[in-house]
Amino acid sequence: MPALTEARKKSLRREMEALLGPGAVLSDPDELMVYESDGLTLFRALADFVVFPLTAEHVAALVRLAQREGLPFVARGAGTGLSGGCLPAEGGLVISLMRMNRVLEVDYDNQLAVVEPGLVNLHLSWAVGARGFYYAPDPSSQQACTIGGNIANNSGGPHTLKYGVTTNHVLGLEVVLPDGEIVWLGGKTRDPQGYDLTGIFVGSEGTFGIATKIVLRILRQPQAVRTVLAVFNEIDQASEAVSAIIARGLIPAAMEMIDQLTIQAVEDAFGCGYPRDAAAALLIEMDGLAAGMDEQAARVIAACRETGAREVRLARDEAERQLLWKGRKSAFGAYGRISPAYLVMDGVIPRTRLPYVLRRVNEIVAGYGLRVGNVFHAGDGNLHPNILYDPRKPGEEQRVVAAGGEILKVCAEVGGSISGEHGIGLEKRDYMPLIFSEADLGCMARVKRAFNPTGLCNPGKIFPSRKGCAEAGFASRPHPIEEAGLAQRF
Amino acid sequence: MAVSAPALREALAAIVGGDCLVSDPALLAALAVDGVTPRWAARPGSVEEVSRLLALASAEGLHVIPRGSGSSLDCGMPPARVDLLLDCGRLSAILEHSPEDMVATVQAGLSLAALGAALGRHRQRFPVDPVGGASRSIGGVLATSATGPLRFRHGGGRDLLLGLRFVQADGTSTWGGSKVVKSVTGYDVPKLLVGSFGTLGVIVEATIRLHAMPPASGAWLLSFASHASAAAFVAGVLDSTLQPERMVVLNGPALKAAARPQARAAVAISVGSSAEAVESQGGDLRRLGAGLGATVSAIPDDFWLELGAVLAGPVRLRLAGEPSKLCFWLAEMEHLAGEASVSVSALGEAGSGAVRAALGRAALDGGWLLRAVASLREGLSAEGGYLVVERAPREVKDEVDVWGPISPDSLEIMKRIKRQFDPSGILSPGRFVGGL
Ligand SMILES: Cc1cc2nc3c(=O)[nH]c(=O)nc-3n(C[C@H](O)[C@H](O)[C@H](O)COP(=O)(O)OP(=O)(O)OC[C@H]3O[C@@H](n4cnc5c(N)ncnc54)[C@H](O)[C@@H]3O)c2cc1C
Repeated sequence: MPALTEARKKSLRREMEALLGPGAVLSDPDELMVYESDGLTLFRALADFVVFPLTAEHVAALVRLAQREGLPFVARGAGTGLSGGCLPAEGGLVISLMRMNRVLEVDYDNQLAVVEPGLVNLHLSWAVGARGFYYAPDPSSQQACTIGGNIANNSGGPHTLKYGVTTNHVLGLEVVLPDGEIVWLGGKTRDPQGYDLTGIFVGSEGTFGIATKIVLRILRQPQAVRTVLAVFNEIDQASEAVSAIIARGLIPAAMEMIDQLTIQAVEDAFGCGYPRDAAAALLIEMDGLAAGMDEQAARVIAACRETGAREVRLARDEAERQLLWKGRKSAFGAYGRISPAYLVMDGVIPRTRLPYVLRRVNEIVAGYGLRVGNVFHAGDGNLHPNILYDPRKPGEEQRVVAAGGEILKVCAEVGGSISGEHGIGLEKRDYMPLIFSEADLGCMARVKRAFNPTGLCNPGKIFPSRKGCAEAGFASRPHPIEEAGLAQRF
Repeated sequence: MAVSAPALREALAAIVGGDCLVSDPALLAALAVDGVTPRWAARPGSVEEVSRLLALASAEGLHVIPRGSGSSLDCGMPPARVDLLLDCGRLSAILEHSPEDMVATVQAGLSLAALGAALGRHRQRFPVDPVGGASRSIGGVLATSATGPLRFRHGGGRDLLLGLRFVQADGTSTWGGSKVVKSVTGYDVPKLLVGSFGTLGVIVEATIRLHAMPPASGAWLLSFASHASAAAFVAGVLDSTLQPERMVVLNGPALKAAARPQARAAVAISVGSSAEAVESQGGDLRRLGAGLGATVSAIPDDFWLELGAVLAGPVRLRLAGEPSKLCFWLAEMEHLAGEASVSVSALGEAGSGAVRAALGRAALDGGWLLRAVASLREGLSAEGGYLVVERAPREVKDEVDVWGPISPDSLEIMKRIKRQFDPSGILSPGRFVGGL
């Protein structure tokens, strides 16, 4: 794509300012820099403009303008994504939804809310909390990330073990399609009419258009909650406890594992009362009816003891519960204090393979002379190995990426998946052939073509680059994705 | 078409074997879809055979309708013609069941009952239970997005499906999703196949999420003197912190079909949990019901299995509206039917707003059904809802769009998807919403 001339930039800027009002268009390189990456800082790219619409009509006009000019465009929420999903192609438009952040409607009788995409996840639970409701998917980033980003990445969180991920909670969406048309997919009814367009949009990582209104299910808050911290001397024991709990037919609301490196980092930084010498801890939460809750907690505690927990602590009150959760939720912040940078991985494996895969993860990372901390959604088998590194040390970034790739291969080998909740984005696109055949990817490319025929909406994401295709042995003849004109490259 | 009929028959037989190709007119007549007799019916024994059948069908422009157990083949617009009925019945294996991971991969022709029996040995289940649907196939249940009472707690097929293998119109075997309980690795293509009624591909394998059987359970029927009281009870449960597994509303004729004591309306509800929680919730539910004048009786476990009779009849409707208006739509339907002495046996899934109703023969007299459908559609559309005529005699289908109107915007996207998946239009063409 040829770069825009300065004159053209100026006139486009004027056009967009006329549409959005003053202050809603950034094009000064210093200002653009803020938007050059998301939570994954390995990748950076500068847009020509970052724009801040207020309405769906604004978004539609911006999208039409981008199509007219042949400029790539990408939606951006809070930019907490961890796979480079909201990065611009070099140049083009970043459409920030952060000014569209209202709760438009709450219908308690039908247990749903209609919100704008820039609404911060946690703010929805705040808005409906007084009436005894909440929004269940709770990414650890929920104080910052937006519902629009959650939709795009089909985000999960600790409590998705019991309550499901974002897609289980979205009923419908108003979307600006990549051609600028404003349409509704799904709506307020529980069953979609015709194909499940809502279902395919969720998890499409911003490549099918830009959501401008979202209808979400809200749930009643549970009667009772119990939170347990189980401490282990061996990481395998903690993994076995996860399986033992599930085998008893129990579905805790959340079951999170925190390893020694992470515990020590958290304790150094925040002091949440986790034992520093433990090899691993499990943070297990049960919720539901008050009746039977103590029995459930007792069964969970028994399962932990049987698999070798040296200590099992039941939070006595809300304050203690919050402290235990603080240990889990501040893990990322704690890494920041012990390492200049870290790469968050996001593989999923069958729960029963946890002992093997965690051993392999530690071996792989050690083999590259690096350190790794694990803090993750153990109940779902959703790993988050966090590889610590120093980007200023020559070659270290490359070693992190190589180690990450090997970890994804192990996840694929045991029948798992290379992303549980962060999405493929730019980061993992070349690993897609680990999971999918050329035919499988070709089918996805067809769906993409139905929504995004010009490919200008969030190009370069999800599908393997030419290099990735070649490595997978796909490129000896014209690839179906290439033929479709959909494989975007830099 | 490039090839003569005998040559086609030979080619089909070469794929599935002569024994598994039906070409005898009498046998084929018994397999008619909406009165349209297929030219052939094939029973492939492997994914590979499904692929080869579809590749051939694509090349020759044969119209194909996939068949599971056949229970819902008549749902949809009548086909213009059926060249090949693709019967998935032989694909009935459980390919993988990992009880510890609570995930199974099964072939599409496996029946819910057979799956349930295998899982039951591990005290697990796949909690999708369309009423009267034990003999239905997994593939069919997913393709029609069928739901039942357990949806209240566990969601529908779309929520429990993790991965899917399907064969595209051109014969390409395709996998989407994952075999683990959580994944955002590429587009969620399986979601598109769920509820696509055989128009996007032939489902051949599904990886599904399983749940543990609850250690204890209890179920009750609360009978009410009015729809309003039943509605108040449902609203009360929804607004409480109670967590039933199932909650359905039955009207008077439905109670009769289910061999239960008469009432204007009743709510059947079950709880599955620890013994203590079952006991306590049962008490809360009974108290809530009693406050609204309900008569409460315990119901046996097999109650849920025997609900099929409630929806038997020549005409069946499905209404999708606001969950809070479930009883309103039930009453509205009864009101319209009452004026013409049409019997309505109805079952509503509380919490989801889905009502299914079986209408008696009288519905077919004097154009009543067409008028009733139009009137209900008008009301439902005002709240974003719709009505589907799930079953009706062929003559009725010639007069009414069984799916009803759909927004042109979303239909346009659906058409684009259909064209991408089935460019030559061989998969159940014209049978789904908006002529998809
Ligand atoms: C500390 C930390 C903890 C995290 N924990 C979790 C976790 O527990 N679970 C989890 O799933 N994720 C987690 N994440 C990842 C991230 O927070 C989620 O992916 C989140 O959903 C991204 O939201 P966002 O608003 O920041 O989106 P962005 O990063 O701005 O964008 C993400 C994607 O969404 C698209 N997008 C944004 N808005 C729209 C829209 N309106 N319409 C269409 N597409 C849109 C973008 O184009 C991009 O592809 C974590 C991240 C951090 C930094």
